[in-house]
Amino acid sequence: METGSSSIQSVGARLVWWRRANRTNLLVAADPVTDRALVAVIAILTFIAALTAGAAEFSTRTAARWQVMMASEVTVQVKPQPSRVIDSDLTRAADLLRGTEGVTSVRIYSREDSAKLLEPWLGALANVEALPLPRLIAVRIDSAKPPDLAALGQALTAAVPGAVLDDHRSWTRRFSRLADTFLVGSAAALLLVVLAAALAIVFATRGAMAGNRDIIAVLHFVGADDGYIARQFQGHFALLGLRGGAIGGVAALVSVAALRLIGLLTLGSADLLGASVGTGSIFPGWGMVTVVIAVVILVGVVAGLASRMTVHRTIDQIA
Amino acid sequence: MQDFPYRPVGELVRFDNVGLRYGVGAETLTDVSFSIEAHSFQFLTGASGTGKTTLLRLIMQGLKPTRGTITLFGEDTTDLGKDRLTALRRRMGIVFQDFRLLDHLTTYENVALPLKVRGRDEASYRAEVVELLRWVGLGDLMDAPPAILSGGEQQRASIARALVTQPDLLLADEPTGNVDPSLARRLLRLFIEMNRSGTAVFIATHDIGLMDQVRGARKLVLADRHLSVGA
Repeated sequence: METGSSSIQSVGARLVWWRRANRTNLLVAADPVTDRALVAVIAILTFIAALTAGAAEFSTRTAARWQVMMASEVTVQVKPQPSRVIDSDLTRAADLLRGTEGVTSVRIYSREDSAKLLEPWLGALANVEALPLPRLIAVRIDSAKPPDLAALGQALTAAVPGAVLDDHRSWTRRFSRLADTFLVGSAAALLLVVLAAALAIVFATRGAMAGNRDIIAVLHFVGADDGYIARQFQGHFALLGLRGGAIGGVAALVSVAALRLIGLLTLGSADLLGASVGTGSIFPGWGMVTVVIAVVILVGVVAGLASRMTVHRTIDQIA
Repeated sequence: MQDFPYRPVGELVRFDNVGLRYGVGAETLTDVSFSIEAHSFQFLTGASGTGKTTLLRLIMQGLKPTRGTITLFGEDTTDLGKDRLTALRRRMGIVFQDFRLLDHLTTYENVALPLKVRGRDEASYRAEVVELLRWVGLGDLMDAPPAILSGGEQQRASIARALVTQPDLLLADEPTGNVDPSLARRLLRLFIEMNRSGTAVFIATHDIGLMDQVRGARKLVLADRHLSVGA
């Protein structure tokens, strides 16, 4: 009981000391209600910005990974022709592929494999042989020195009528365009959010300076220069911006972790998109953490600059 | 004089045909010419509303004259830059009629404010501020916020704040307006003390009894927008 109350007392004393130290460092009177509202606004904006930037980072990295995966594989599709035996066509195509420089492995999908690929659309097929299913050959290529795919495609079609080489290029292009669009959109959103945060700081600083008009006048008369007065405000609001930014950033990381946890529980994979990215745990990857920290620092810097500019512009209007 | 290695000589403040008009009405002050010499002790008097506070505000550069020139410490203030203005203000101590203490600071912090804004380290001035606070009878109220001080105590705090930098020029607007006659005498002694150690004192007041207590002080009288030297 004794130790309990004395430790509470010492915490209380420390709190009083801390508040006193903070108070005496600030010559302008801060309005706790405005301060809290400002921190909340900045936190929310940072949260949105961090999530947007994090999603952009994620999608860009995933797109890059998928492009590498797609670039190292091509597919040959052999359509059944009325007068031909498809199995020998497949063997002929596979032989031609194996003999090509830059091809590392060739695998013919069996009839059952093809049926399984179609299962999600057609259901379990009782009589696979009765359907004229196109057949696939999966070809891994050396992405460092890939074969001339256009020439290979022509050679294939010449040797085996009905064989078509699909290098996924149209998919890759579309996918990368999608990722680029998303990146540009995210950058624009980030810019707007940072702008909104800056405006919030500007309004709060102006409000605080209007509220402290008399104090600023007194500081001038007792010999404070503009730089000194500006620092009183600037530091305060930069700190509030940084605090709001940190809260928003941590909230964004926690949200990502929560989303991953939900993904893990419902889909059995922490990865919502099913792409093999991230750490595999519920925690956000380092790329995401870096982006969020960068956003928080950006918000802090912008808050400081916005406050500084506002203070210097407003101080001239006060004698 | 070794406490004050540098003391100015000559005129600290000079008004030449200064006129001031608020808005579009008639002039509040017309053709005001006078000067405040170093080490001098002057009273500015006049009925309420004759412009005593306005004149003080002109000296402290809280107002710009509509015509005429004001010279402060030898510098023409017509086109004064902000840095120069700060430098000139640092040579003045000001006692406002309404005190203008900062409510969110303690009495000690208020009195120490002019030293703090000059960037001085607290350790270098704490003792002298405490000493000054004891001198004006606020030793026990150092940690109290101004809001709980009486009018007279606030007045003393604001006088202490003006004196703490040992300025070349002290401007005081009705510095004894809120205190009883015996305390007024004590405060006046403080001003006389400062004046002896080299500060020029300029006090606006309508307390005739106060003026009679300083021998050799010049009396300036504001009446009907004009300033004249009193008897």
